[in-house]
Amino acid sequence: MTVRCLLGMLGTDVHSKGIRTLAQVLRDAGIEVIYLGEHNSVAGMVRAVIDEDADIIGLSFSSAAYLEYIRQFVTAMRENGVGSVPLMIGGLIHPDDHLPLQEMGISGIFGPGSRMDAIIDFVRNKGGSLQ
Amino acid sequence: MANNTDGIDPALLGLLQNEVKMSRTKSWSGIETAAYYGPDKRDVDYDTKLGNPGEYPYTRGAYPEMYRSRMWTLRNIVGYGAPEDTREGLLKTIAAGGNGINVVGDPPTTQGIDPDHPAIGPEVGLEGCSLPTMRDMERLLAGVDLAKIDTAWHWSTTAYALVAAVHSHRGQSLNTLQGSNMPDMLQETLSGWGQKVVPAAFGHRNAVDQIEFCTANSPKWALGIPQAYDLRERGLSPAGEIAVGMAIVIKTMEDLVVRGVSIDRAAAGIAWVSISDVDFFEEVAKFRALRRFWARTMKERFGATDTRALRLRIACHTSGRSLVYKQPLNNLTRTAIQSLAALCGGVQSLEACTYDEPVCVPTHEARDLAIRQQQILANEIGAARVADPLGGSWYIESLTDTVEAEAVAMLEKIEKIGVIEAVTNGYIEQIMDDYNLTVQRELDLNERIVVGVNQFVPENDPVPTRFRFDPTNTRIHLQRFSELKQQRDRTSWEAALRHLHDTARGGGNCTQASIDALIADVTVGELWGTLRVANGYAYDPYGAVEAPIRYNA
Amino acid sequence: MNGIPPRAAAVLAGDHRMAGRLITIAEAGDTDIEPELGVLYRAGGSSRIIGITGPPGAGKSTFLDCLISRLRSLKRRIAVLAIDPSSPLSGGAVLGDRVRMQRHAEDRGIFIRSMAARGALGGLAHAAGDAVTILDAMAFDDIIIETVGVGQSETDILGLADIVILMQTAHGGDGIQSVKAGILEIADIIVVNKADTVGTDRMIRTLQEMVAHRIQTAAGWDTPVLPTEATNGAGIDAVLDAIDAFYRCRGANREATMQRDRRRMRARILTLAQAALRHRINILTEPSLLAAIDAVISRVMEPREALKLLVFPANS
Repeated sequence: MTVRCLLGMLGTDVHSKGIRTLAQVLRDAGIEVIYLGEHNSVAGMVRAVIDEDADIIGLSFSSAAYLEYIRQFVTAMRENGVGSVPLMIGGLIHPDDHLPLQEMGISGIFGPGSRMDAIIDFVRNKGGSLQ
Repeated sequence: MANNTDGIDPALLGLLQNEVKMSRTKSWSGIETAAYYGPDKRDVDYDTKLGNPGEYPYTRGAYPEMYRSRMWTLRNIVGYGAPEDTREGLLKTIAAGGNGINVVGDPPTTQGIDPDHPAIGPEVGLEGCSLPTMRDMERLLAGVDLAKIDTAWHWSTTAYALVAAVHSHRGQSLNTLQGSNMPDMLQETLSGWGQKVVPAAFGHRNAVDQIEFCTANSPKWALGIPQAYDLRERGLSPAGEIAVGMAIVIKTMEDLVVRGVSIDRAAAGIAWVSISDVDFFEEVAKFRALRRFWARTMKERFGATDTRALRLRIACHTSGRSLVYKQPLNNLTRTAIQSLAALCGGVQSLEACTYDEPVCVPTHEARDLAIRQQQILANEIGAARVADPLGGSWYIESLTDTVEAEAVAMLEKIEKIGVIEAVTNGYIEQIMDDYNLTVQRELDLNERIVVGVNQFVPENDPVPTRFRFDPTNTRIHLQRFSELKQQRDRTSWEAALRHLHDTARGGGNCTQASIDALIADVTVGELWGTLRVANGYAYDPYGAVEAPIRYNA
Repeated sequence: MNGIPPRAAAVLAGDHRMAGRLITIAEAGDTDIEPELGVLYRAGGSSRIIGITGPPGAGKSTFLDCLISRLRSLKRRIAVLAIDPSSPLSGGAVLGDRVRMQRHAEDRGIFIRSMAARGALGGLAHAAGDAVTILDAMAFDDIIIETVGVGQSETDILGLADIVILMQTAHGGDGIQSVKAGILEIADIIVVNKADTVGTDRMIRTLQEMVAHRIQTAAGWDTPVLPTEATNGAGIDAVLDAIDAFYRCRGANREATMQRDRRRMRARILTLAQAALRHRINILTEPSLLAAIDAVISRVMEPREALKLLVFPANS
């Protein structure tokens, strides 16, 4: 079954070259990428998850504001009945934050130095869920 | 730099003292060297393609004596939290030897968004200094005489307006204002800001406004355009840097000429904001090809005659993207070579990344090492001794020609479409995405080796320190901001806002109106939003905030 | 609500999440939702179904973004189906239309779904029809289908839309040669976007001439050629007026409308037949499919014989 993966960024962050490249790499690996680009709001992205029935969501962050944004996002996902959609985070994620992120339900953390093939495998397996 | 140190905050005196100096012109073993070296006999080729340093077409350098007459400016960047926080970091940098104040604004500030915007609260003060009002800029620059001290601002148009507002508010004339910023908004549209945050035509108009104004009113204010550092980091080759950068410059110059600014004046105030990436030879070739391209374009296309217009000055920052997360000490090697490339390439100012750039917000120790690196280059390596030391190398001359030829071809294609359209319709964006995809594929296939990324990868990850700053000042700052909005003089505020809107609607230059608005306590978000509305865009690019007044009422 | 499958009931009640889920199931070709589709199809029929097609770079998404704004200001509820080609090599896709409609991201009166064509010849996803069925049952005022005009038959959109809008621009200097004959014949409205481009006036005149000489797409309807600048909204109102006028024309010419709808449904059923056949072959286990293909290669079987064997096995 074709995997539909939503990729996007929240807030003012402009560093999108990573997810742009990832979008193309995932496409070349047979994934359908719903590309949301930069400057999304939490509410707007949640609506996208709902309408698009995404199998998996990828958020990329280059600013240290990610914990707060992810908290808001996970809360909004749960409030809107899509809390079970697997979520992966990429970008400048600090190792000290891995535990709190996992506790929030993030199943994939791809910080600096992550390999593309690991991300592709993760997405193909929809974050390891049994869907 | 000033000779008179009276009345200057003592902590800022360090700014005036620790320059990077040329300590010897002899080699390390004592051989005396000349300012530059060239062929015994000059032929036509040499004269037309190279020239001596300081001679048209300036391939070999902008000045005859290069670093012997003036060393590059040693700069370090600061910026975080509230103005009070940045001021503290600023003073520490000066104590370590940096002699230029170089400030980066936080993303809300640089995007023209106020810190109380409902959607971006978590980001205030995180990546730079929050400077939403003139009063905040005054707090940051307390005791800094802007006529004597050179302040560099790492963002586009509102930076100048804010600093100029402070200077004017102090009763000083804008023609004494020193400093620089980077009024290149097309680059922003391309580098991830997008049409949403910076609609290309609107941003470009604003940039031309600022350049026109500065050329006439603040001749000591340097204008960094194109901001090619971000363009390269976004995804361009050295040839691409020249092509896209020149496309932006050419369009800007054309617009200025239409407005009646002479090309000699317009081009003289410009410095190219460049990058030094990891291929040492390619970057040296690029700087040389760039200067030649610039000189020929200014002369042949625009008819410039003034040396200052023909001779391009280059500001350089080493590449952050090229640095590697794992085994970060390797980045000292990378940044040292990149800095050497910039110096062999003849840049006028140089900022080096810290080695821990990919790992965390730079620690003070890393900043120290970055400064020492430059001082080692200046005093021990001999990087500054001779202008264009690689000139005449068959490799470098060939690379220079090749980079130039590629740039010519790319520029032709862009100009056929028109640079504004090429930015808007995704043509340039596609070039950049293709470049990045190629690099990624080559990394995945090991056709491109980066130590610590796809080969020689250490087992252990670095342990990043965490840059923690006390958010107390930021909280106070937000509170203060909110109070300002309540307490400011509403009559003069509203009049300034309307005047700004009407000036923009009427097609006039908005810079003076922007300065006046900031003095009347208009915030950066209100300023930018008003300009957006006047140009037919939504007040808030994020769609969450309404305009504070009805402009047509 | 006796006997209505709960998933269909949820969609009828306006549940976006369920609608999204069902569209995914439809895309997978899963027959599991046929009962739901039956209920939903019967409940639909009130939405205007507007197709927008045209070459890449014409500015369809930007145009659509403007159109949505205008329609929303008229309080109309909108659903968008944005269809992009799949990579023929990998089968994957980057679906990047939605990102241009970002300013509507939080508007609950809008439903936006991106779809990959997944190998459909005309660039229209097979499940697009089912997606329209699902969305139509949610009483959206307008369902807009956006497709890229690539491949042999953009005309697939005829199987779905009441009205077909073709977008062109004068860019690229190819002029009229870039307008494919097939799509021109079925366009009910032609929009020439980026109207500030040099050559636009000439293109408009040429297009007007061409439509004047071809058969009307609908009785009593002269296909208008309208200039727009989607980046600033210029000309959008004229397009909206033309859409309204078209629907009035439909209403006033019942017999002709019926003929057209018949053609549309015929095309839709043929598309479904293709999809069913494709699905039938795709769910064959690898070995039997490979065996048949090898047999054809070694000329033990003629291709049609292999097809009969695979699709209509003797003991089914």
